[in-house]
Amino acid sequence: MNPVTALFAPNSWRVFRRNLLAWQKYAWSSVAINIVEPFAYFLALGFGLGAYFSLTGYGSLVQYMAPGFLGLTALNAATFDAAWGCYERRVFNGVYESMVTAPVDPLEIASGEYLWQAFRSALYGTLFLIVISGFGLVHSWWALLCPVMLAIAGIAFAIPALFVSFLVKTQEHLFYYFSFVATPMVMIGGVFFPLDKFPHWLLAIAWLTPLYHAVKVFRALVMGTVSWNTGLEVLWVLAAIGVFAFIPVSSIKSKLAN
Amino acid sequence: MLKRRNKWRIIGSWFLLPPERCLRRLAATRYGGHAKVLPGSLCFKRESRKPTMCAMSSIVVNARSLTKRYGQIEAVRGIDFAISAGECYGFLGVNGAGKTSTMKMIYCRIARTSGDLSVLGMDAARDASRIKQRLGVVAQENALDPELDVIENLLLYASFFGITGKAARRKAEELLELVAISGKERALVRELSGGMKRRLVIARALVNDPDILVLDEPTTGLDPQARLLVWEKLTRLLDGGLTLLLTTHYMEEAARLCNRVAVIDEGKILAEGSPEQLIAQFAARDVLEIVDAEGRLPADIHLNGLVVRRERHGDTHYLYNSDNRILLHRLAELGFDPPRHVARQATLEDVFLNMTGRELAE
Repeated sequence: MNPVTALFAPNSWRVFRRNLLAWQKYAWSSVAINIVEPFAYFLALGFGLGAYFSLTGYGSLVQYMAPGFLGLTALNAATFDAAWGCYERRVFNGVYESMVTAPVDPLEIASGEYLWQAFRSALYGTLFLIVISGFGLVHSWWALLCPVMLAIAGIAFAIPALFVSFLVKTQEHLFYYFSFVATPMVMIGGVFFPLDKFPHWLLAIAWLTPLYHAVKVFRALVMGTVSWNTGLEVLWVLAAIGVFAFIPVSSIKSKLAN
Repeated sequence: MLKRRNKWRIIGSWFLLPPERCLRRLAATRYGGHAKVLPGSLCFKRESRKPTMCAMSSIVVNARSLTKRYGQIEAVRGIDFAISAGECYGFLGVNGAGKTSTMKMIYCRIARTSGDLSVLGMDAARDASRIKQRLGVVAQENALDPELDVIENLLLYASFFGITGKAARRKAEELLELVAISGKERALVRELSGGMKRRLVIARALVNDPDILVLDEPTTGLDPQARLLVWEKLTRLLDGGLTLLLTTHYMEEAARLCNRVAVIDEGKILAEGSPEQLIAQFAARDVLEIVDAEGRLPADIHLNGLVVRRERHGDTHYLYNSDNRILLHRLAELGFDPPRHVARQATLEDVFLNMTGRELAE
């Protein structure tokens, strides 16, 4: 079994279903937390700060940020639960421990978590999409494909976060990942502002992050500027999943396999 | 359904067993499935550790010079044992003796460092997934999902064995009834008492109709009533023909449930046999505990051969002998009438403490 084919294994979907069952019990609070916060930032920056200027060559700040925030919502939704939630499920709640006494492969557990983060990204991102379309910031029917891209991006964001949750010694150390990786990724991901004034080396780093490519796709879908390049961006993220997925394999196995 | 299936399993397996084992199985079924081992029915002579009376096909777990090392720490230091279908085999030992490591190797949670280990005829390292399919595991930590309710815990676990839909629900309800937590289907796990949680884990371990139920300290931390209830359920499973493999540091538990016990200490098996055999071998039938602060107890160690072994812990003397009445009579003849004494039968605890040292290891 390899970590990519594991995404399609029946047990992965059972792990997914386990998270869905648990989530259903506190769904509303979870939705609120994941939507209200980005939405508050979006309103404050987009309409508050954005009222004073517009971006040369890109129009209003709020219009620029709207698709970017889809990427941000996906990143937040997937990263937090894949890191914090998975750590809890593995270490405190013994969820994985009982799964591996049944014939569940550790890679199926990881895949189930990736699928679950894909669902979270798609759900929260789509809710955000509905909100911004209410503000008239969505300009194309291509936007209907956003949930698919949100799910793909969610997997790409979940893999490193889950990896970190398997590496850290205590839950608090997860903040290293949030502060040193996730947050900077947002800053250079083209969420808030265009990157064409960035120095080349910083742009090169941005190019290596999945968020940068996902945001480009969301922008094309929301603005209706879809081209072959958009397809290439999607391929980049898919390829990243294919490569990233192999990195945590040995540490997942060392913790959960015999 | 569970009962009927197991009954057929018992009857069916009789054809494969030599008469010796059939008798024993019959005795086990008839007398409550424990502690009634017929004389001479030990499957393995302890000296040779080679199968003598059992058919090879009935051996479900077989370990040869099994070791487990964590870095510098040697948790299991070359142990041999073989467990037959339908018996209850217990590992008796204090914390850190290597019981849990041994169990984890059997249920394929950790890999052995060296030696051989086969479970249900399959290699524990190579065929982990196939072995897990046929095992029921009650780990030391309950590991119930606190975010799911009782029935969801069972259904999710069943789904990992490919048991879904109506079949899974029927199975779950049947098992909840078996362990006496019916009516709590929608309760969250954290709302259950310790005993209920343990019984739920046992129910969960049975969803796949396992061939072996592996229990790591099934009653540790439970109050006496909850413990009794767990014992009752386990006895029932044993009567149904299920093979049980458990660890415990309660002598009473081992004596009550197990046909055979391995006393394990510092990663080694010190002795193995039926509870009665162990008592006969390592302690005498009776124990006379005498508190003697003044040192008036006759110094003649064996008291003319009446006392098999003699130990002292503080002011308390332990005289292992074959009959307390005769010994007390003899002591009276010698002019020593012990003011404070306890005359009792030897227990597994005596065996255990004798072999591992009377002081607690920790």
